Amino acid sequence: MSKEIVTGNEALALGALRAGAKVITGYPGTPSSEAIGFLLSHPELWKEKGVHVEWSTNEKVAFEIAAGAAWAGQRALVTMKMSGLNVAFDSVISIAYSGINGGLVIYVADDPGVSAGMAEQDTRGFAFMSDLPMLEACSVKEAYLLVPKAFELSEKTKSPVFLRLTTAVSQSHAPVELELPYYLPLEREILLERDIQKYTKAGALICMAQHRDLIQRLEKSKELVREMRLNELSLSKKRGKLGILASGVSYSYLEEGLLLASQFGLDPEEVSILKVVSVNPFPEEEAKLLLENSELILVLEELEPYMEKNLILLAHKLGLRRKIVGKLDGTLERIGDYSVREVLFGISAALGLKIPPELFYGIQAEKLAAPRPITVCAGCPHRGTFMAINNGIRKAGFKKDQVMVTGDIGCTILGMNPPFNTVWNEVSMGASIGIAQGYVHAGINSPVIATIGDSTFFHAGIPPLINAIQYQVPLTLIVMDNGWTAMTGMQFNPGTSEKFLPQGSRRVDLEKLIPGLGVENFWVVDPYDYRKMSEIILKALKLEGVKVILARRECAIQAMRRGERTGKVQVNPEKCTLCKSCLTITGCPALSIGEKAMEIDQTLCNGCGLCLFTCGYKALEREEA
Amino acid sequence: MQAIGNPEYPYNIYLVGVGGQGILTIGEIVSQAVNLQGIPVNFYPTKGMAQRGGFVKAQLRIGKDLVGPAIPEKGAHLVLAMERSESLKAVRYLKPGGDFLLWDYIWAPTAVMLGQAFYPELEVVKEQVQTAQGKFIVVSPSLLADFEGNPAPDNIFLLGIALRRTSLGKVVTFSAVEEALKNRFKRFTSRNLFALKAGYNLEL
Repeated sequence: MSKEIVTGNEALALGALRAGAKVITGYPGTPSSEAIGFLLSHPELWKEKGVHVEWSTNEKVAFEIAAGAAWAGQRALVTMKMSGLNVAFDSVISIAYSGINGGLVIYVADDPGVSAGMAEQDTRGFAFMSDLPMLEACSVKEAYLLVPKAFELSEKTKSPVFLRLTTAVSQSHAPVELELPYYLPLEREILLERDIQKYTKAGALICMAQHRDLIQRLEKSKELVREMRLNELSLSKKRGKLGILASGVSYSYLEEGLLLASQFGLDPEEVSILKVVSVNPFPEEEAKLLLENSELILVLEELEPYMEKNLILLAHKLGLRRKIVGKLDGTLERIGDYSVREVLFGISAALGLKIPPELFYGIQAEKLAAPRPITVCAGCPHRGTFMAINNGIRKAGFKKDQVMVTGDIGCTILGMNPPFNTVWNEVSMGASIGIAQGYVHAGINSPVIATIGDSTFFHAGIPPLINAIQYQVPLTLIVMDNGWTAMTGMQFNPGTSEKFLPQGSRRVDLEKLIPGLGVENFWVVDPYDYRKMSEIILKALKLEGVKVILARRECAIQAMRRGERTGKVQVNPEKCTLCKSCLTITGCPALSIGEKAMEIDQTLCNGCGLCLFTCGYKALEREEA
Repeated sequence: MQAIGNPEYPYNIYLVGVGGQGILTIGEIVSQAVNLQGIPVNFYPTKGMAQRGGFVKAQLRIGKDLVGPAIPEKGAHLVLAMERSESLKAVRYLKPGGDFLLWDYIWAPTAVMLGQAFYPELEVVKEQVQTAQGKFIVVSPSLLADFEGNPAPDNIFLLGIALRRTSLGKVVTFSAVEEALKNRFKRFTSRNLFALKAGYNLEL
């Protein structure tokens, strides 16, 4: 045993190693990225054991690879954020119908409270939709312990199993007793089974038989979950008054909430608690005991009232009339993450305790803080692209509010913010290119521009580009290729330089791929070259058909981490008039206003030189590195 | 009036700053130090979307095995803030009577530099902390010690100040923090150890 501080994501990855996973795949996405990230930075834990770990092109591909390995009899883990599950779900449903042979755990991280931007999607709904078991951990430690159990459940039911964490657990760091050795190999025979009844969907008979099997597998998981004692019920010492059903991170706030509520009249000995770990199947037996033992029940779960609905349905089936306090009666919110406040609020609403409001609310000093919109880093190549788009639009004779610039997921969306105000919208991976075509077909008579990053383009941007090429939709696509999946913490992707890819990998070059699809008007431009970039954008805006600009320059953060700078920019205080154009146009974090002249923070500046183009007084001087 | 975060609960630290300042490293070091002392801890950083220059916060809860990661409002025994304006975002989490240690660094957003947005005066932060019944301790970045001719790491320097000037010193020992620093910084060990000591010995 070794007690180490690990994050929820690391615990998940370590749990999978301990469970003998042979194949581990995923696509980066906050708050799930560090699971694979941790493994890739610690190859000593798995590489020589014959384990395969990868960042896949997207979540659907990642899932299919893991599912293939599980069909072949191995244990496999696939990791993703909630949005990624939407991408993978076509295949998830199909594999759910077929079932698997080995063990397959789908780790999904939800983000209540939205730490990273995106929908507050509650993926528990997907478990119900696909009739697949889903387990949820309330802490980092539990995340580690639950992975082997999820694999066990998966193997015994021959079904993929979801393991869900939310941001507060996946991102938390806490001490965990790690079992040694970290990797426990399993002897699993490779299975090559040909059975079209199981592995295809050809015809109603096959599909409906599989559907029946799927439902039976979920039934079987009910027994197993009970045998494995995954859910914990503790009945009150005294006559039961309040029952609390809590799942996920809400459970971790319970002790604190109860202790507090006891200062306001709660008798903890009258409280029964059901901790739900198996979100699906719902622990009916334990919930029945909770209902029977309590006068009223409080349900604590973030986001959607899934457990609450299950409990109401169960009470109805049992003919038990119980007051159920949760979201459906309006007590608690469906929005945001929970803390001890919701526990206390729920208990006080259930029992009619008088809790002074000043206990919940501090003063709102944050209203006095300066707004801090996030922008691109100093030296970011995207800055050059946003500046050039704005310039190209102006030179083409349009106002900014006449030209639709669709946006996409990742750092490239930062063009929505000042000072650029370039990008208009953000939907989902790859959507910029489809949305742009919709605007064109809607009859807009000004140019339409789509912007997307390299990893996002690989992930889901290629099919909509093919569509645009097929129908020769007049639009300008700018692929902002910085060589990394940057926003989620610098993961490599298919376009990353081979120097930084795992040994034996081959880079997929967008410079070859895009013209290969049949794009005739295609340019590769360095976004630091503002003049060239503006000129090409202007040209593209005037041409017919599909135009693609590959704005290519490595992420400045990554280059700076290796100590690479393109040059050095300095202010000539003799010439600087403090007109602030450089700052107004670039918004570069390395620039600040000095007493007599602009100043440049040399620890941030990488010498990109984009500010030089904004200075009418030649007060900024650049030396090539 | 008993506030959330009474002594039966974990010791809570709310950390705020701007991405790139090293505020999360403070949280990591304290977590490791506490772990070395065999005390349970949960450290929950929220990085947001920016690599650099965006708001960053972290929540440390010390002393309970299973604890909800988020600190309730009025629940933090200690606030450690590394940027003046961002420090205001922590005030509502400060427990009455708790310590509010501000490294009074000003990282002005572009709109502030261009005169398009306001930036709070130090007095505003002080007033807010006093309204929240906190103990306000402010340290000017001009007091940062030099190590071999270069500025010492300010985050570790601030941690040193906190160990001596706030209730943190009752929760984690100086030597455990030193040990954690040695484990964390295999390179630059001496400059970080120096910063910790210099902060600890700083006369305010």
